[in-house]
Amino acid sequence: MVIHYKCPNCGSDMTFDSESGMLSCGSCGRKDNIQNFSDEFITATFEVDEAKQYHCENCGAVIITEAETTATNCSFCEAAVVLGDRLSGDLAPAKVIPFTISKDEAMDAFRKWCKNGRLTPKGFMTADRIKGITGIYVPFWLYDLDSKAKVNAVGTKVRTYTRGDYIYTEKKFYDVYRDIDLSYVKVPVDASEKMDDVLMDKLEPYDYKNLKEFKTPYLAGYIAEKYNYTDQELLSRVKTKVQPYIDDYISSTINGYASVNYKNKQIHTSQKKAYYTLLPVWMVYYDFDNKEHIFAMNGQTGKVVGKPPISFRKVAGWFGGIAAITFIGMKAISFAVGGVLW
Amino acid sequence: MNKHTWTVVISFFAICLLTLGTMAGASGTDRHIYDDAGLVNETELAQLEQLAKEHSEELETTFLFLTTNDAEGKDVVTYMKDFFDGWADENGQEDAVLLTIDMDNRDVFLAGFGSAETTLDDDRIDLVLDKVMPHIANQQYTEAFREMVVTSSKYMEFRPGVNPENLLFKWGFQLGVSVILAGVIVGIMAYNSGGRVTVTNRTYVDHNHTRVNSNRDRFINKTVTKRKKPSNNNKGGGGGRIGGGGVTGGGRSFSGGGRSF
Repeated sequence: MVIHYKCPNCGSDMTFDSESGMLSCGSCGRKDNIQNFSDEFITATFEVDEAKQYHCENCGAVIITEAETTATNCSFCEAAVVLGDRLSGDLAPAKVIPFTISKDEAMDAFRKWCKNGRLTPKGFMTADRIKGITGIYVPFWLYDLDSKAKVNAVGTKVRTYTRGDYIYTEKKFYDVYRDIDLSYVKVPVDASEKMDDVLMDKLEPYDYKNLKEFKTPYLAGYIAEKYNYTDQELLSRVKTKVQPYIDDYISSTINGYASVNYKNKQIHTSQKKAYYTLLPVWMVYYDFDNKEHIFAMNGQTGKVVGKPPISFRKVAGWFGGIAAITFIGMKAISFAVGGVLW
Repeated sequence: MNKHTWTVVISFFAICLLTLGTMAGASGTDRHIYDDAGLVNETELAQLEQLAKEHSEELETTFLFLTTNDAEGKDVVTYMKDFFDGWADENGQEDAVLLTIDMDNRDVFLAGFGSAETTLDDDRIDLVLDKVMPHIANQQYTEAFREMVVTSSKYMEFRPGVNPENLLFKWGFQLGVSVILAGVIVGIMAYNSGGRVTVTNRTYVDHNHTRVNSNRDRFINKTVTKRKKPSNNNKGGGGGRIGGGGVTGGGRSFSGGGRSF
């Protein structure tokens, strides 16, 4: 099933417009609200042998896609197409955060980010070799989690005092118990095999105020992928992700001790809900020094992540500069206090 | 100008220079070492005199070294006081640092007179003695005086009241702090160059459903351990200590400190 959006006015291809959040026509400028866009203008065709091939609704050419792709552009006529059957049934996303940063804004934001790179080589900072920029809806699972924690610990309070010629150290031991309910909402975990987990984790947080019910037109004009891992398969990953949050909360409830020694920590985390959600990411491909560097930008907040090249000279410069200034500062302090420089 | 006038002018300047030179020399005295006990040999004596002269001129404080085999029945402090009254009256010089080695009582005493009473106070004298005593224990009296002159001169350049051995004044410490700080800052910059994690443990918390259901903090038992207060006089390299400053019979007050060996 290939979905293609035709403008009700002029019949041109329509794509999602990140600025207005509506489906818009590039030719006549018509904008339509996605939540009530009439099905009449969405052409959906079922293919006979659709596991293998999709044909563009617009020009009839074969759409070349990878197995994960759910939205793309026709490589011949550039029309935005959405592969509906890869977005239905079990594969139907529940939610989506639409792009709020357009391609141009993304380019600008990326260039600005490069300029601020204090340790990146000079040639990199100009950001004039951006090879490509692609807007991708990355599949995520947003988990609602309930945790129960039962903690036994021994807390120690220490007091020292002096009587006569002796210094006394008094240690008081306490039996500490906590029964805690914890709840976390919409913790995101990326469900795409291709995407680097560390990179995706750094893109957070997303603003959930713009979380929308999923509709296919949001994908028009972007690349979108379907999940490779189910919510069950990624449950352990989200559990490890919230583990430090839980530990931190537990220790925040145990106060007033010099040291706390945990005897028993039972944490049971269960999945209340998991929403299959598409989150917007701009992928930037940048050639520098014969190497391709990949960066990801949060398509909603503009946060950029990825390992930029590091200039040894700049590192040395910053190191030397900071060390020299600190040293002069130390000398100034010693002169102010002791009246000598050495 | 003819030849004659030139000679007059040159001789005038020569005389001026000579007078200046002798005046500068007069700020101290030609003799710094009164080695009645004969602890220093001839060649070393000349070297020590030279060292004492240089430092004395630089700091405008005379460094003196007094040794004796016979304290005339006096203790080291009294012997030192009497010597200094005599020396000061004779030389008209009040700013001095005096190291006394009394082989009779086997005591060492270091005193600061005049301006040296503040620039080399009791605490600093104690620090100098820490460095001097090992040499005396090894019977290296020349080295002891040399160490005293060099260390005291160094300390006397510090503002009065400041501990000159404070870590803050050490090159190694200053360099170390600079390098470590720079390393940490650049390290953080490099680590964060790829984007920081800005999610905290509060980002995804549902506050309405996160709570402590029950808690308990029950006292079980306690232990008490005791140890003796550390005593403060554990320094001194085996010998006893001789108290701080005082006033000489001639009314000269001084800072000081001494030790037995």
